[in-house]
Amino acid sequence: MFTVKDYRDALAEGYLLASKCRRCGAVQLPPRPICPRCGSGDLESLKAPKRGRVAAYTVIHVPPSRFKGEEPYAVAIVELLEGVRVSGRMLDVSEADLRVGLEVEADVIKLGEEPLLCFRPLKRP
Amino acid sequence: MGLQRGVAIIGAGMTRFHHKIHADKTGRDLFVEAALEAMASVDNGIELRDIEALFIGNFSSDSFEHQGHVAALMADWLGLTPRAATRIEAACGSSGAALNIGVMAIASGLYDVVMVGGVEKMRTLTTEEVTDVLAMASDEVYEAAVGFTFPGLYAAMATAHFHRYGSTWEQLCAVSIKNHHNGSLNPKAQFQEEVIDIARRLGERRGMTFKDEMEFLRSPLNPVVAYPLRLFDCCPISDGAAAVIMASEEVARRFTDTPIYVRGIGQASDTMALHDREDLTSIRATRLAAQQAYRMAGLGPEDIDVADVHDCFTIAEVVATEDLGFFPKGEGGKAAEEGRTSLEGDKPINPDGGLKAKGHPVGATGAAMAYEMFKQLRGEADKRQVRDAEVGLIHNVGASGATVVVQIYGR
Ligand SMILES: [Zn+2]
Repeated sequence: MFTVKDYRDALAEGYLLASKCRRCGAVQLPPRPICPRCGSGDLESLKAPKRGRVAAYTVIHVPPSRFKGEEPYAVAIVELLEGVRVSGRMLDVSEADLRVGLEVEADVIKLGEEPLLCFRPLKRP
Repeated sequence: MGLQRGVAIIGAGMTRFHHKIHADKTGRDLFVEAALEAMASVDNGIELRDIEALFIGNFSSDSFEHQGHVAALMADWLGLTPRAATRIEAACGSSGAALNIGVMAIASGLYDVVMVGGVEKMRTLTTEEVTDVLAMASDEVYEAAVGFTFPGLYAAMATAHFHRYGSTWEQLCAVSIKNHHNGSLNPKAQFQEEVIDIARRLGERRGMTFKDEMEFLRSPLNPVVAYPLRLFDCCPISDGAAAVIMASEEVARRFTDTPIYVRGIGQASDTMALHDREDLTSIRATRLAAQQAYRMAGLGPEDIDVADVHDCFTIAEVVATEDLGFFPKGEGGKAAEEGRTSLEGDKPINPDGGLKAKGHPVGATGAAMAYEMFKQLRGEADKRQVRDAEVGLIHNVGASGATVVVQIYGR
């Protein structure tokens, strides 16, 4: 059974842990103990792809206390597989360039002791 | 499924919602004030001993006032002991969820008369601390930890909505301007001032003049909170309480000749994290809760004369008016801009000023919506009265839409 710790440990190792239902094939990121589509508990682990597109975003100007002083900072919901999305911090992008549909790539940085999922615009060669 | 027996609201009361005037009051003081007003509003009178149970919506008195177990506390302070008292928590949808439980408690036959209320005393904390507490209503591990705030989640919905439907921030401003206008007509509202009057007042102080609302709303006096949402897209932080008294159909007419009947109720949940929702431009729990309520009432969106929807942010009102079926998907912003949701429009929304201008003491909001419909459907809403209002709807949301409650009322 997948726990929050499994996801965090994977993140600390630099990858995105998802769960895939062995019965119906639904993919969940972060991983879940039960498949929300069919109710099965028979799930396998899957490394989610790191490239995706911004589905929604914001730039936080009034931060919570733990991120005080970092504002303004951008947060995005990124779609990595069809219908599979996750929230992460956006780095290396100006407010003007940030838009829905922007191609991004996941990275993990350390925030104190905690791994933080972040995304950067994909650099085209 | 319908209710086993009919339920009606026979009385309603609320404190004014405000960020300053209740500084010297605690949550219990506010709740007692609202509850006494609700009792005094019962046409033929009611005694404390008539009330058989109390259901209280409250999000986080633990964080705001260092006080837990608040339902028993409210029963105690109102003199209701030893009646059953239960707290219901569903973030900003707490007292909406309590309203549904109150209806079920009477419909089941267990009680004939109950009180349902909500209370939140938030101004004990700074804005930054309140931001922290409200963020607890999102997914701590997967949303708050990467930096999302509560306004940030709705801001993200706005960017998705703008992208898919071409809706605009200017349309959101129309929601804010309309709700401030309605608030200016409501003596219970936190802000009883038109946006243009606020612009004039704040401008004078800084030697600035604005030719219209939009020039003010685009100015630095309306700072960005979470792009694209600015201060005037966000509901304020408020203290306040509200209470309604519900009775079974059998006994309601003993208390009043004008009960307001509960025609339908609905409630749904969804994923905690916004990123897991099937559609970022819509709140599925709203659509499902509304379907249940419409079906129970035998009514549709076209039958609703007036509605209080959960406009914690301007984009939330736009999305709600679409998901409730008042306007086609993607056209909620346009409808607001065209004045269709104003007091004189074909679908008046938030005649009380909404969360934006009336204020949003989070746990009290659902009960305050029921209060407004009680007034509107009895024709007692004075300057903000929607003409010929006979069927009303309330829509109360927990956080970014993981809980939604809808109730429909009729005369
Ligand atoms: Zn499955």
